[in-house]
Amino acid sequence: MQRFIPSALVVAMSLGLAACNKQAPQGEHVSINKNPYPSTYQPYESAKLLIKNATVLTGTGERLDNADVLILDGKISQVGENLSHDTARVIDAKGKWVTPGIIDVHSHLGAYPSPSVESHQDGNEMTSPNTAYVWVEHSVWPQDPGFNTARAGGITSLQILPGSANLFGGRGVTLKNVPAHTMQAMKFPEAPYGLKMACGENPKRVYGSRKISPSTRMGNMAGYRSAWAEATEYKRAWEKYDADHKLGLAVDAPERDIKLDTLRGVLDGEIMIHNHCYKAEEMAMMIDLSNEFGYHAGTFHHGIEAYKIADLLADNGSCAALWPDWWGFKMEAYDMVQENIAIVDAVKNSCAIVHSDSDTTIQRLNQEAAKVMYRANENGFDIKEEHAIRWITQNAAKSLGVDDKVGSIEAGKQADVVIWNQNPFSVYAKAEKVFIDGAKVYDRSDEKYQAKSDFMLGQQ
Amino acid sequence: MKLFKKTLLAAAVLSSAGAMAKTTAIINAEIHTATEQGVIKSGTVLIEDGKIKAVSNEQLNADEIIDAKGKILTPGFIGSMNQLGLVEVGAVASSRDGNEKKGGITFDPSLAFNPKSTLIAYARKGGLTRDVIAPGWGEGPFVGLSSTVNLSGEFGSSVVDSQNAIIVNLGGTKDGSRAASLAKFIDKLEGQHTKLAKKSDKKDEKADPSKEERLLTAALKGEKPIVVRVSRAQDMLELIKVKERFGIDLVISGAEDALPIKAELAKAKVPVILSAMANLPGDFDSLNASLTTAGELEKAGVQVALTIAGDSSHNVYQLRYDAGNAVAYGMSREGALKAITSNVADIFNIEDAGSIAVGKAADLALWSADPFEISTTLEKVMINGVEVSTESRHDKLRDRYMAETNMPRAYTK
Repeated sequence: MQRFIPSALVVAMSLGLAACNKQAPQGEHVSINKNPYPSTYQPYESAKLLIKNATVLTGTGERLDNADVLILDGKISQVGENLSHDTARVIDAKGKWVTPGIIDVHSHLGAYPSPSVESHQDGNEMTSPNTAYVWVEHSVWPQDPGFNTARAGGITSLQILPGSANLFGGRGVTLKNVPAHTMQAMKFPEAPYGLKMACGENPKRVYGSRKISPSTRMGNMAGYRSAWAEATEYKRAWEKYDADHKLGLAVDAPERDIKLDTLRGVLDGEIMIHNHCYKAEEMAMMIDLSNEFGYHAGTFHHGIEAYKIADLLADNGSCAALWPDWWGFKMEAYDMVQENIAIVDAVKNSCAIVHSDSDTTIQRLNQEAAKVMYRANENGFDIKEEHAIRWITQNAAKSLGVDDKVGSIEAGKQADVVIWNQNPFSVYAKAEKVFIDGAKVYDRSDEKYQAKSDFMLGQQ
Repeated sequence: MKLFKKTLLAAAVLSSAGAMAKTTAIINAEIHTATEQGVIKSGTVLIEDGKIKAVSNEQLNADEIIDAKGKILTPGFIGSMNQLGLVEVGAVASSRDGNEKKGGITFDPSLAFNPKSTLIAYARKGGLTRDVIAPGWGEGPFVGLSSTVNLSGEFGSSVVDSQNAIIVNLGGTKDGSRAASLAKFIDKLEGQHTKLAKKSDKKDEKADPSKEERLLTAALKGEKPIVVRVSRAQDMLELIKVKERFGIDLVISGAEDALPIKAELAKAKVPVILSAMANLPGDFDSLNASLTTAGELEKAGVQVALTIAGDSSHNVYQLRYDAGNAVAYGMSREGALKAITSNVADIFNIEDAGSIAVGKAADLALWSADPFEISTTLEKVMINGVEVSTESRHDKLRDRYMAETNMPRAYTK
């Protein structure tokens, strides 16, 4: 219902005028504000900080023993041995491990918050196969207690996605995991938007049961293709308008369409695809689809069968965000192997990610990665901690388009850092201190740094 | 399947050797007994006819010797309150047999237990040897009966003890009041209680009791536990009153909000089955869910069993990781082991399993190190003294897609 009447009228008038009156005075150029809900995130007060003598997993594939990390002005300043600084506060992290902040590329926190009562079901706009016009950030409840438990698990950034009932579910949003009372105050500055797409069983089940398309997998594909064809026309119309206007012609802007704005953003390379897609053959078709319409297929989420097409995913530059062991809840989740992430990861130029899609396992992505590393190593792999950590840091950052900012401990990066009490791949490991942009946002031993949701205040 | 074949071969050799029962000794094991005996730093478990014949801190001899080389031997773990063997694929209705809308108290899903389900071999990867399967939902409050199964995957002998507990769902509902469900539950017990009292007055033994009546009678005599799924503390307190009034063997499952009433649970001797991972307020019944609940209940003297939250059937292999997390948040190591072995056995009256002790079934798991640690490898699993495979369909898929071949994968078997 975006085609509201006033603009239709304008279009009708302009059609009448345009033919005879191209020399009329040119109207002001119409452009679309791509950022109407801007981030208001401000880093909390950060100290100058020198973390000493830790085992550092940099997120770039390196492990530094007995190393120091210097944080100045919210950024990583230096990483190495025997660092010193005149005024920085020193944390002795001997025996402890330091990693980049953990990033979950697939979360529904805030949109499916706790308590998960009827009034809180805000993650899935199950009213049309194509709801590319919804933005999940408009559903995020910042008071979800799950943000706080996730932070205690070392989660510093996370992408909130809408659900998977629709072929196009809407826009996702990437957040910094800071306590806030507005969504905008959590919004990760300059993170690109994501568009959630979904393959397979969900869309065909939801709409098939209502006797509308899609009711089959071929119906799914037809739905995607129609939408991209429409988006291509929309993009063309705007580009023509922009070009004509530049030439000084008195042209009218195309009719605004919120849904097509998002699809066009993908075609323009500004919005990244995040595709819920389990099966090998479907992921392959989604890559073909992206080639047909000229966009990048992005990251495949939940790809239970990614191991069957690991080469194809790497060749296409697609990340695969996967669970270590979820399976069997539907047919497309039947062919799980515990080594899925390891097999995908073993291919050159791959981008394997451990994701949660869960308000509980997001609290233990380190353990989820550990499951993959150890079970794979039992079966012929030789994966080290310094490599496996990338599945929940640098690769995840790449998938979200924020790898120039976070995901590794390198000079110049934002100081999103976790200090663990021991090897984070242990079942007994706990995040002791969590920093976002150099500011301490969680401290296990200091209640002052343990945020509590408004909802939980005064509850017994 | 390699390991399994070896065992079959051994069995064949044995049967030709004569009537003497073959004995197996697992030597040099760090034995975590899950009994009062605690941990035996280096010892032997002697097995005969599938049962544990001796547990000793000395090295005993036997027909077959398995050298554990100092590694850790535990009882096989026991999952509970899931639908192992009753569901294959969650979203495939025809593969689900664990729930019956109008099943009621007499519904026994173990009649549908499929020992060949792919979930069973997968569960063995987690060191599980037994499981208590239970119906998940129904119109309630009575939803059916639980049963103990072993995870040998064998036809005929997998259901070890059927109908070992009565399962009841209470607490907040979408339609109507929890008060009505609780009243319905109490009314059933009361009705049978009154009937029994009258019968003993009249000495009327002619009328055969219905199956429902027999079950309620067993519950009222404390012979069959009633496992109630409930989350809110006040609901649990109401149930403690019911226990005290009727003398039932009450078990609470779920119990997310048990922390504030841990003393009452301990005093009333109510065992609790819970997920160590539940720490979010899923609803207004579970506002106090916490990672520390398992450990704090243990300290308060409550008998605790651990179970898996969410899809507990497909994920039950994770039980050992959950136990590790419970330890990380305050449970004792021994307590966490008991919570996935002997306490489960005790709660469901599984007399022949759940610990390493003389007379128990030789359901055992051998671990490279701490069984709760993610880095630890499961080296061997035995059920009734027979080594069972931990290879599942998942491994076959992995091997197919990792094999070097010039042919389509479909030819790699």
